Amino acid sequence: METRPLGDTGQESAVMTFGAIALNWLEQEGANQMVELVLDHGVNHFDVAPTYGDAELKLGPKLRQHRDDIFLGCKTQERDYEGAKRKLERSLDRLGVDSIDLHQFHGLEYEEELDTITGDGGALEVYREAKAEGKIDHIGLTSHGDPDLILDAIDRIDDLETVMFPYNPVVAGKDDAEHDYEAVLERCEAEGIGTLGIKAFAKGPWPSTDELPEADRPYANWYEPVDSPDEIRERFDFAASRGLDTVVNPGDPKLVAMVLDAASRYEGMDEARQRALIEELRHEDSPVPEQLHH
Amino acid sequence: MGVDVPRTVRTALADRPVRGRVCLEAGAGVGNATAGLLDAGASRVYAVTNDPEHAAAVRERLGRTHPDRLVVVEADLRATPLATDSVDVVTAHGLCNVLDPPALDRVAAELSRVARPDAHLVVDDYAPPPEEAAVSRLFALENAAARLVDGRPLLTFYPADLLAGVFAGHGWAFERRETLLDPVPWTEAHLKAHANEVRDRAAALPSALGDPLEAMADDLVDDIGSERAGEMYSLAFRRTDE
Repeated sequence: METRPLGDTGQESAVMTFGAIALNWLEQEGANQMVELVLDHGVNHFDVAPTYGDAELKLGPKLRQHRDDIFLGCKTQERDYEGAKRKLERSLDRLGVDSIDLHQFHGLEYEEELDTITGDGGALEVYREAKAEGKIDHIGLTSHGDPDLILDAIDRIDDLETVMFPYNPVVAGKDDAEHDYEAVLERCEAEGIGTLGIKAFAKGPWPSTDELPEADRPYANWYEPVDSPDEIRERFDFAASRGLDTVVNPGDPKLVAMVLDAASRYEGMDEARQRALIEELRHEDSPVPEQLHH
Repeated sequence: MGVDVPRTVRTALADRPVRGRVCLEAGAGVGNATAGLLDAGASRVYAVTNDPEHAAAVRERLGRTHPDRLVVVEADLRATPLATDSVDVVTAHGLCNVLDPPALDRVAAELSRVARPDAHLVVDDYAPPPEEAAVSRLFALENAAARLVDGRPLLTFYPADLLAGVFAGHGWAFERRETLLDPVPWTEAHLKAHANEVRDRAAALPSALGDPLEAMADDLVDDIGSERAGEMYSLAFRRTDE
């Protein structure tokens, strides 16, 4: 599988990152097999979080067995010093390792959270202390929020080394500031910040719970994913060809093998085809009147 | 930002000098290229269309946010109501395929007339879709209905080289060709819009003739659903004195 520098971290990550939330829905034996499967395909960057059910615990055994082959990303949603410190120790304990390669502020949504993180008694102090103690190597951020907020975070955390955010043809086709993740990609490229893409495989929101009760959803994702090999490959190729360093698989374990296959066969996507994908989805729920043309 | 400019338009305009220039969008449609020209900083955009609904749609979409820079003109491009040598940048985004050859020639002549001596021209259109593409059957039906009612086809897909030749014949020097879309995503919404063109013509025909045409269009849309086929290209030219 193709590898790329993860910004200026010094890490060479495979173009697919294993989103270890997938392990949450597997028994331990299946989780072990899943880890072996992704390693066999050349994936070397794993991403996990304490909020992913018991994914940390299930990742533990194989992570410890292959510790040197895995660049481990973890996260915390705690914004203050005490909470972040507690959660970091808990993750190290549950994973059963001494250090995390990339620790990320998880799911940043509001400016006030950034104030807390960077202020006195904020989570950033924990991250920096842990870095000095060798418990973490690099500091990152994940967000589904406003691209401007990510840019702010880059301004305010000068030792931020990676960002993780949603990117797919639907997002790319939205032409407003709220979806301008391309500005984030450009900024990261200019500053040597690594980029990880999530939601690359999102098709759209699930039907309303009246139409489809939550318990009847066929996938564990909180959005409806694309789920055929061709669509998965197309979405992977799109995300990986637009400047992201690496693309995270959707959380449902049933989709992981298809993404591994797509990532293994990745050869890029030309721009006319990228635009065709954007254009196709732009018309799905376009507010502009009926039109003959593109 | 905020005007929802399609990537096709952004790509086609990316290497053209639009900022501060007077522009003409020939065949404004729903205003996609007009939005792109405004977004790229045109000092003024004349959005010309002969379709009152399109004119209203463009005014609605862009008129309020750009009252000082947008002029929507309802007119036939074959007699474009703009002064000779008055426009810096001309765009024809998805226009030529709704012009039959005689109309294309007259429109090309008018675009040359209104353009300044060193003006730029961008022509974006579709290569003829592959014969085996299912959408080709819908387009053929559309043309059959249009020929019966209007006496001419509605859609003519010109190969890029052919269009380049037509504009060269009207004093435009070819500068570049770029592929905007490959394949072209003909979505359900596009196909329904094309079926509605058949429906409009069918309504003007005796029901013995119109009803089957309409039924065929509906069947084709159901049958095709959506299809990826063909190419959309962008040609760029510079006005020459020759």
